[in-house]
Amino acid sequence: MNFFWHTLAVICMFIPGYLGYGLILGKGKILHFGHEGIVMVTGYTVFILLMQFHTGYILALFGGLIAIAAVSLLFALLALRLEADAFGVMSLAVHLMLFAVVLNWSSVTRGALGIPGLLRFPFLQTPFDFAMFGLVVAVFFFWLMWKVDRSAFGRKLAALAEHEWHAKSLGIYRRKVYILAFLLSGFCVLTTAVLSRQYFTIIHPNDFLFPVLVFDVMVIVAGKPGSVPGVTLASILLISLKEALRFVPLSPAVLGPVRLILFGLILFGAVWWRRDTLFPQEREI
Amino acid sequence: MVQLFINGLIAGSLGALVAGGLALVYGVLGVFNLALGQMALIGGYSTWWLHQSLHLPLSISILGGLLVGALLAWLTFEIFVNPFYRRHRFLPLVTTIALSMILDGAILLLFQERPRSIVPGLKKMVQMGDARISMEQVGLILITFVLLASFAYVLHSTAFGRKIRAVVQHEHAAWSLGIPAHILHRLIFILSGVLAACGGIFLGIDQNLTPIFAFPLTIKAYAAIIAGGKGNFWGAILCAYLIAFLEQFVVGIHWFGLFYVPAGYQQSVALVFIIFFLLFKPSGLFVRSARAA
Repeated sequence: MNFFWHTLAVICMFIPGYLGYGLILGKGKILHFGHEGIVMVTGYTVFILLMQFHTGYILALFGGLIAIAAVSLLFALLALRLEADAFGVMSLAVHLMLFAVVLNWSSVTRGALGIPGLLRFPFLQTPFDFAMFGLVVAVFFFWLMWKVDRSAFGRKLAALAEHEWHAKSLGIYRRKVYILAFLLSGFCVLTTAVLSRQYFTIIHPNDFLFPVLVFDVMVIVAGKPGSVPGVTLASILLISLKEALRFVPLSPAVLGPVRLILFGLILFGAVWWRRDTLFPQEREI
Repeated sequence: MVQLFINGLIAGSLGALVAGGLALVYGVLGVFNLALGQMALIGGYSTWWLHQSLHLPLSISILGGLLVGALLAWLTFEIFVNPFYRRHRFLPLVTTIALSMILDGAILLLFQERPRSIVPGLKKMVQMGDARISMEQVGLILITFVLLASFAYVLHSTAFGRKIRAVVQHEHAAWSLGIPAHILHRLIFILSGVLAACGGIFLGIDQNLTPIFAFPLTIKAYAAIIAGGKGNFWGAILCAYLIAFLEQFVVGIHWFGLFYVPAGYQQSVALVFIIFFLLFKPSGLFVRSARAA
């Protein structure tokens, strides 16, 4: 039963982050591959303030909000300045850069050791607590992103993804919409970063490596880009699969690479399946 | 200072090999291949396996590694690029991310995480003033220059090179003049794979091969391409050297006589520079103007 609550907790805690990322990559078709960089900066800011500077959760979360706003604005600025594919690659470069800072600024981040023994909220102690609280949070974010998806802002983001010039002629400006989209996505990421790191009680640079990003992309692509229910369903199925793979009777030295190959194949299959809708052609009248 | 310059030359040669082929691929196909670092490593690991496990001579092992690089690039084109890039040129960006993950897994399964050196043991060093350089590194720098010079000759002084440039400039116009663009697409992609494999072999001879090199290698090559003006072959090569020199000088100089930048920040500082530069000049250093009728 514990494994069920654990899986449910993990699914629910990660859904807000995936929905936020889905808003950027799925709905906005912005080739943003720096998502894990944002999760890393947020998580580290909150838990460094909490564990190293003993600020308490309220100040730490406030610090996390400031950090996420800053890093989201940096990505938004890059997305506005660069061509779409160049932004895709440079967002990975920013991730790499942030990763190097976390790894090397060891007096604050503890480098490759990570920060263990993270404090949990007093009401979150067991997997069951996390599962129940996570469920409430996931339902709230599902509702929020559903509303955003159907709002004027969601339609503007979709219009910009389809044809920027036509959207501009209708008075939709990329700058405002992109900044808001990145900030909103950042808010979702903050929730996932704080809850998931508390649950695992450690924040470690290895949690933000390239394969983790590939898993994020896979969830968005498999779940149908831009679809809130689709991304939620893909999160449930793929996280369940990831957790179930722990029981495959293989040594860790083999299981790790096999998992990489399996998820790579799933991502390729998902792109093949969605190849006509992942980056839709411009609509013609 | 001379040592830093030599180190920059070595690292820049590796970057230039990888970035040059990719710049051509981008110019012709307009696609990014994010599995490039893994393709380079597979070229290097194949050479290591042929030389260290099968005990074949180094030259044969290198040829084998290049052949594996070419074969892998061809398969990548047929499976992960060709079915997608005509539908949308961003699709291969995602499919090659999937490929990179598959190749990462394959590398870990086949060659494990431990460092592998194609030519292990102490290297013969040459003293050049205050600086030291190994004979292998001298050879690698010279081979890179020879390769790039040959490439320049083919690209600018032969009929084949003119065809490539024609396809880069306007594919449909080239088609209408009877240039088989679809064959050139494959050839250029395979060529980029061979150059990447060269990079992997370079890395395996000069240092050690480990799976963690793949991602930074890809990102630095693309940073060079974007900073050089996308699709601009010579811009990419110059920026690959620029990034390498930046990396070396930033950590090697005693700044204002007060501090050294820690070596761990080496690649971050170069990337920060490129990112800030692109914020002000998003089209890159050497923008190629499009030809108009």
